[in-house]
Amino acid sequence: MEEMILKLKQEIIEVLNLEDIKPEDIDNDAPLFGEGLGLDSIDALELIVLMEKNYGIKLQDPAKGKEIFKSINVMADYIQKNRTR
Amino acid sequence: MSMEKESVNILSAKQISIQAPLSEEWMDNPLNYSEDYVRAVDPDFKQFISAGDARRMGKLLKRALATSLSALQEGGIDNPDAIITGTGFGSIENTELFLDALVREGEQLLKPTQFMQSTHNTASSLIGIHTRCHGYNSTYSQKGFSFDSALYDAWMQFRIGRIKSALVGSHDEMSPVFSGFVRKAGHVKEGEICSEAAVSVLLAESGNAYCTLDGVRLLDTPSSDTLKEVLADMTDGGIDAVMTGKSGNSENDSWYGFLDTLLQGVPQLRYKPLFGVNFSSSATGFYAAACCLRKGSVPAVLSESGKGVECSKGILVVNVVEGRHYSFSLLKPVCGK
Amino acid sequence: MPERSVLITGCGIVSAIGLDCGQVLDSLLKVRTGVGPLKYLKTEHTEFPVGEVKLSDEEMERIMGIAPGTPTTRTALMGMIALHEALGEAKLSREDLKECGFVNGTTVGGMDKSEQYYLDFIENDSRNAYIGTHDCGSCSEMIADRFGRFKMITTISTACSSAANAIEMAADMIRLGEADIVVAGGSECITKFHLNGFNSLMILDHNQCRPFDAERAGLNLGEGAAFVVLEESGHAASRGVKVLARLSGYGNACDAFHQTASSPDGEGAYLAMSKALNEAGLKPQDIDYVNAHGTGTPNNDESESQAMKRLFGSSMPPVSSTKSMTGHTTSASGAIETVICILALRNGFIPVNYAFEHPMENGIVPNMDLNKGCRLRHVLCNSFGFGGNDSSLVISAAE
Repeated sequence: MEEMILKLKQEIIEVLNLEDIKPEDIDNDAPLFGEGLGLDSIDALELIVLMEKNYGIKLQDPAKGKEIFKSINVMADYIQKNRTR
Repeated sequence: MSMEKESVNILSAKQISIQAPLSEEWMDNPLNYSEDYVRAVDPDFKQFISAGDARRMGKLLKRALATSLSALQEGGIDNPDAIITGTGFGSIENTELFLDALVREGEQLLKPTQFMQSTHNTASSLIGIHTRCHGYNSTYSQKGFSFDSALYDAWMQFRIGRIKSALVGSHDEMSPVFSGFVRKAGHVKEGEICSEAAVSVLLAESGNAYCTLDGVRLLDTPSSDTLKEVLADMTDGGIDAVMTGKSGNSENDSWYGFLDTLLQGVPQLRYKPLFGVNFSSSATGFYAAACCLRKGSVPAVLSESGKGVECSKGILVVNVVEGRHYSFSLLKPVCGK
Repeated sequence: MPERSVLITGCGIVSAIGLDCGQVLDSLLKVRTGVGPLKYLKTEHTEFPVGEVKLSDEEMERIMGIAPGTPTTRTALMGMIALHEALGEAKLSREDLKECGFVNGTTVGGMDKSEQYYLDFIENDSRNAYIGTHDCGSCSEMIADRFGRFKMITTISTACSSAANAIEMAADMIRLGEADIVVAGGSECITKFHLNGFNSLMILDHNQCRPFDAERAGLNLGEGAAFVVLEESGHAASRGVKVLARLSGYGNACDAFHQTASSPDGEGAYLAMSKALNEAGLKPQDIDYVNAHGTGTPNNDESESQAMKRLFGSSMPPVSSTKSMTGHTTSASGAIETVICILALRNGFIPVNYAFEHPMENGIVPNMDLNKGCRLRHVLCNSFGFGGNDSSLVISAAE
């Protein structure tokens, strides 16, 4: 899980172009949206693309992203359970 | 009513181009290029945009925001009444990334950020969002006539009494792939530097001005009589020089031949050898004219004859696109009024 | 400044619900949707219903008498057909156009051909002519040049409010005496680029769209073109041309909230509508019908509802989104819906918000009855674009 979380953080940093942020700066339990990393609805869509591209998870309803992208831990857990690659 | 002489102040004008960014260094020490495709010299964007805000912006958006904020700051206006922008291609780099992925990789897993930026009005709306301006906001996309159209709209907004200030800009970036395309399409011609430009100009009814804007006219395929009439009307107070879009390419330069007869003896200036050619290049010409009037003289580097020109009456900026779209903007010095 | 009033003396339209004003009127009166399975666009995404114009490019070329193989684009072809109708109705000849302005609204321009020939553009010279048809401006030139040379041409590209802003700019030109006639509108075809772009934003409904419905799930992409001939009143009188309607006010405002989302309180929409009413010298209760932007996305319809409730309070006029029948014609929508408003004004009916079933919480309840025989005096037409480029037009009955 540790390894997967690190990889996921690196992927998020790359896809969202979070230039000044390092994996260790992202708290595993902190919210990704709003307060935490300050991500918005377009970032959520980018993360949906990321999940499909890298983990084969297809999300049809963007509203569902809100729950999955609560924090790195929640997202990693969801990916672990639903990944097809 | 179109005969009424009205005037608007130009409070500031800023550029990011193939010359030193956000500066008038080009007037004394221009950068010279031998390449035929040159990308803009970017400033340090961090002074204008936080890393968090910048992460989703392509080059065009960063440059548009930097020139806009810089122009607003110098002009002392935080909240312009109107934001009007020109762009020929919009954010072509992100458009290309989306198009390339669509064509090569198929219709899955395409990136929303790239699509979002492919819409031409992202610069104007980004500036609106950043400055929290809820006023008039529009974007023009008519090839190398986009800035001219935006300026014309701003000019009308002032005359109709809807606004007291306007941020007018034009922004175009050029990816390596599209630089090849614009050559093939003849948008950029033999002997011309294919370049990039972002220009923002702040106009207002009052305030400390570089110079004034005293008229804007747009025409499609005018007759020689119409050209004669428009030039006579716009230069009846006399002008020091005419700023042309001549580039050294013979086809392009032939479109300005009417000036030799209709404005005989008036010194001709040209900015394209300095700033290159792109869909926003007429904005660099307008910017250069405003800088000359602010300084009171035209540097030799702009002049066709190679000699400097003193400015006391004004400069007429003339742009001709593809031999059919004509624009005329009259700039006058503040003290000459 | 002497007030010069702006009349509408011609209109033309091409859309999923008809290829001219007569066909569109018939579809509106029969409440017939043009949204259905994909037929003309070649795409993997056949799961999305769309509002296509029911003509192939080749059929449109034939209608316009364009030789096969001439470089053109679907956006330009639709524009030509709509402009042809508008100029005909206003009785404008090739010679007349020399004194008229032309303002077009488009965003995708020639992307239909660019996505088809992109690799050719890179690898060989076989399709170079289509590079020149890629940009928005060339699209306007192709449309206009088919009929002659105008006094001036330009193109507005403010996403889904492009055509509305084109009409506003044209009206300003007339009011300031820059021209006595300006033809304005917009054109936009469906492309893979656009369909995939909206899909990447996850705002396409997999079913017939349902604007203002509690269960709405996004928009259906549409396509089409429409143009109106705007003319100064004295000039129209001297020509003796029939007056179809009056453009009595218009407003443009920026939501200044987000590049793709509308603010929850619909500030930009509210400002655009208020400005339009102010310029028209009207009160909210003077408006007899609102043709809403109403895309069918959860975000737009919520935000637009709030803005309308704020503006109209307890005197909410009948509202409908005709995108439920035309699909969202993006850059062309402002002009397409302006023509629909003119048809409603002239024929005394209120277009129906097709496919609406369930009222949304705190939302508006759209019009579901044609109200045939009603007398409309002033109608409001909303067009909101990405980036919060919000515009609103007040169209009034000809006196």
